[in-house]
Amino acid sequence: MQLTFINGSPRGKKSNTARLMGHFLRGFMETPGNTSEIDYLTKHRQDINLLTETFAMAENVIIGFPLYVDAMPGSVKEFLEALAPLAGKKDNPALGFMIQCGFPETSHNRYVARYCEKFTQRMGCLSLGSILKGGCEGLDVQPDFLTDKYYAFFYMLGVEFGKTGKFDPAMLEKLARPEHLNAGNMTQIIPFINQALWDVQMENNGVLDKSFDKPLNP
Amino acid sequence: MNYLILNGNPSGGKGNIDRYIESLADKMRSAGHNTEVIVLRNLKIRPCIGCFNCWVKTPGTCSIRDNAAEVSRKYIAADHVIIASPLIMGFLSSLMKNTMDRNLPLVHPHLEEIDGEVHHKKRYDKYPIISFLLEKEACTDEDDIAIASDIFRREAINVRASLGFIHFTETPVQEVLHAIDVH
Repeated sequence: MQLTFINGSPRGKKSNTARLMGHFLRGFMETPGNTSEIDYLTKHRQDINLLTETFAMAENVIIGFPLYVDAMPGSVKEFLEALAPLAGKKDNPALGFMIQCGFPETSHNRYVARYCEKFTQRMGCLSLGSILKGGCEGLDVQPDFLTDKYYAFFYMLGVEFGKTGKFDPAMLEKLARPEHLNAGNMTQIIPFINQALWDVQMENNGVLDKSFDKPLNP
Repeated sequence: MNYLILNGNPSGGKGNIDRYIESLADKMRSAGHNTEVIVLRNLKIRPCIGCFNCWVKTPGTCSIRDNAAEVSRKYIAADHVIIASPLIMGFLSSLMKNTMDRNLPLVHPHLEEIDGEVHHKKRYDKYPIISFLLEKEACTDEDDIAIASDIFRREAINVRASLGFIHFTETPVQEVLHAIDVH
């Protein structure tokens, strides 16, 4: 089986998207004979046709991106628009998405996932579905016991996909947890993220006292 | 009341949305509304690169030097922003989406609970109402409208705005004018 992963993260190789999908691809390659390639939207923004050709030639494509304002980043939308001329072509690849967000709950990703499903139909591609994951901001500063769990899931999803060409629904469901936070989780997790992820960075940059600045006020 | 219409049509002369916006803005001004139209395709607005400098290095200020900050400044000063865009492959134009992504400095990185979900805290005291004015594609169906509208409702929550209306360019201008008055 052949798979092309198109990394739509504006952070390219250093993205949380790249980290997670690296484990998926490692799993995918466990099946002998499988081949994969990774391409980066950040590399091709000036010459998007190279990437649409890559898309057209592939057997399976997964487009990965971080959630930006409840949808795909604008740069990913540019690519989806560039694919329009291929809509309905007979040899289009099977298409899936990987959408991750910084919010701790996966539920935020469900809305754009519906868009992605409709986009796949519009292109006339066989749909692979979407891998959705919340809680992905700052994977490099999250505790290992959390990230190791995510990475193991992505690896196993990749292994399964490498064998069957499908995302395992039970695994997708487990990976998506927590879909929502309960009130107890919320009171624990919110102050932790605000402090450990954001205030620490502001403090290191010497701007914690400017945290709530309003520079665009008239 | 200050109104801002963002025209996210990437190609001038194509479709009806430019003319629709002009006619709407004229009528709004005649009705005494202070109305500004920004044609985004005439500006330089690069995509957000997710560096978070606007949150952790220069709070509230984006590091990319182009016209996006000017749009954000007018956006936050407005009482009601109308996001006008053709649907392209079922969603807002990438021109419009890039512009919306670049409004990230307007909110704060800290999270808080809103109706059982986690969202970002406000940075500013007041945020505009946001409404959507869309032009359908030949293939736009009920599904597309439902999917896009659900995303817009979410976006309003996330940018700490209240959602005004969602209308299409096939709606008579008079009706949109009325919707503006009631919000």
